[in-house]
Formats: sequence, C-alpha cells, structure tokens
Amino acid sequence: MSRERILDAAVNRIAADGIDAVRIARIAMDAGVSTALVHYHFDTREALLAEALTHSFDRAGDIRTEGPQRLQDMIEQCLPLPGEQERDWVLWVELWLRAVRHPELRPTAAKLYERMHEWFREAIEEEFPNADAGATADRILALIDGYGVRALLGDPAVSLERAREEIWAGLAPVPAPH
Amino acid sequence: MSPRPSTAHVRRPAILSAAAEVISERGVQNTRISDVAERAGTSAPGVLYWFESKDQLLEEALVFADARFYEGLTEELGALGSATERLGRLIDLWPSADDGETVLWMELWVRSLREPKLAETRERLDRRWRETIAEIVREGQETGEFVEGDPDGLALVLGALLDGFAIQLTLGDPAVSTDVVRRHCLRLAMRGAEHDEGSMEPA
Repeated sequence: MSRERILDAAVNRIAADGIDAVRIARIAMDAGVSTALVHYHFDTREALLAEALTHSFDRAGDIRTEGPQRLQDMIEQCLPLPGEQERDWVLWVELWLRAVRHPELRPTAAKLYERMHEWFREAIEEEFPNADAGATADRILALIDGYGVRALLGDPAVSLERAREEIWAGLAPVPAPH
Repeated sequence: MSPRPSTAHVRRPAILSAAAEVISERGVQNTRISDVAERAGTSAPGVLYWFESKDQLLEEALVFADARFYEGLTEELGALGSATERLGRLIDLWPSADDGETVLWMELWVRSLREPKLAETRERLDRRWRETIAEIVREGQETGEFVEGDPDGLALVLGALLDGFAIQLTLGDPAVSTDVVRRHCLRLAMRGAEHDEGSMEPA
C-alpha cells in the first residue's frame, strides 16, 4: 500500500526535520514513490501531518490487558519512550503549534484528543466505578501533555520514571459528584 | 544624502515587546525581521543590531515577556490575603483561550526539539515558574490551607497540569474552561479537598 508507506516515511521525516522544514520530495524518496503521488494523497502539509498522526494513533491503542494493569499499559503507551513513541511525541508537539496557526487542523486535533479521552474514560470507569471518569480523564490527558513535553525535551526535573509515576498518581482523587 | 531613520532612540525593550507580539501572531517561521522592525517603529538593521537570528529573537522575546509577567504578578499576588487566593489568581493568569503567551511557549517547545540552546532557556524559565508556584505552596502548607508533602513536587504537578490544560484551551477544546482548570488544581493543593466526595477504591 503506497499510502501506508508514505505515512510511515512522513512520520519519520517530520519527526526528524520538523513540519516546517520537511521536504515532500524527501518523503517520496524514503517511501520509494513519486513526489506527484505524495501530492496526490496529501495536498497540503497540514493534511500530511493530520494523517501521519492519525496513522500513529491507529497503530497504537491496541491494549489487551485488564484491570489496573490496563491503565498502567495505557499510560506507558502515552509516554515519550525512546523510539517510536518519542517520534510520535515530536509530531504531537508539532501539531499543537500547527493547529494554532492553521485552523483547518483543529478538527484533527480535537478528534485525537476526544479519542484519547474516550479511551481513558472507559478504562477509568471500569476500574473506578465511583469516580467521575470524565473529569479524571481530563486530568490524565493534561498530565500526559504537561509531563510528556518536559520529558521529551530532556528536562532534568522530569525523567520518564517520574512522568510515569506522576501520571499514574493523577488517576486517584477525582471523586464523582453526588 | 537620503534621510535614514534613526534607530538610536528605539530601545531594546520596544523591539522585544514587538517581537513577542508578532511571533505570537504569526509564528517564528512566518515572522520577518522587517515585520518586527515595523511594529517597533525601527528598521530591520535596527533589529539586527541587537539580535542576529530569529531564534535569538524568540528566545529573548520570551525571556522579556516572562519578566514582564512576573513584574505584574508580584504586585497582584502581594495584594491578596491567603495562599489559596494567590494560587487561584495564578491559575487565572496562566492559561487562557486567547493567550498569546501560550503560543509563544508552543513555539519554544517545537524549536527546543532541535535547538539545545533553546531547550536550556525553556528549562530555566520553567524552573522559575515552578519556584513561584512552590513558594505559594510552602506558604499554604505553613498556614494549614494546603496538603502536606514536598512543595517542589506539588509545584511540578501543578505546573504540568496547567500546561496540559493550556494546550487544550489554546486549541479551543470546548470541554476545558478556566473553571475546570482551577477546580483540578485547587483540588490537588487544598487540604481536605481530596476526600470530599465519593470513593476511589478499585472495583
């Protein structure tokens, strides 16, 4: 599938060069297709970034564990761990800024946040039936972004270990309203 | 001789203030030195005299905007009566939907990914921010308003939470409002708030 190959190449190239600097011709070369074909599938940089991130989200998210382990595995998958996850995180940070500058990207950003929110909300609801799962998920998402970006940028105060513990701790105290 | 605009009277702060505005509106990528010069009422060479690159301009504009933020903050917080009020005010001042400063931070994050020097500046500014929060936390712990525990640790959680919510606010997420942010932050900090309702025992 050429579309798939283009997206894999795009994720790697955007992570390495940045969405502003990335060259479509280079992505085409990496994917072994023509530049025209990349343009055919994705007519703007914004479309390419949106699809590349959605592609990353599709690959992730498949967690089969149950119980508290499930939530732990989900958080693990949201950390900027070296390799693929770190690469996806770079795209995530690029998306924030790009979506501010290019409003046509906001629906993609909103959709991805919603997807993550649902994913966590359901797991939290199952594990903590007396909690306000929506509010807890709000907080987990904010903590993932706040700690994740610091860990990604190598902040000495936020190791991956620390990020993992603190996000996990964030699951605790949002009780449901009566 | 053609008359040349004099740049001597335009001080660095005017350029930095203009740079913070223009970069926040258009981004580093789309900011031309001449745009900043125009906003500051000077010429491009007038800007380049002080700043040799756009990255440097971003860095210094952020340091400048940050210093300005703290100037106003000290005054505002000093007028309030309790640590709870001070933390509440700090939260109100931080992330807001049309806040140009959050966008500057996003620019800094993206450029820090590939520029180690900018990453250092980000770390320094973030440390100062956390120290400001920690100071309020310590005060609230002394008066018994806030939960006990490591104040720097609590400041880090609050800082991370505020940034995470700021991102969603800036992207226009309808589920997040300043009220929601305030509730989450105060619940973390305030004594007694963590046990107020419901049970968090696992199923």
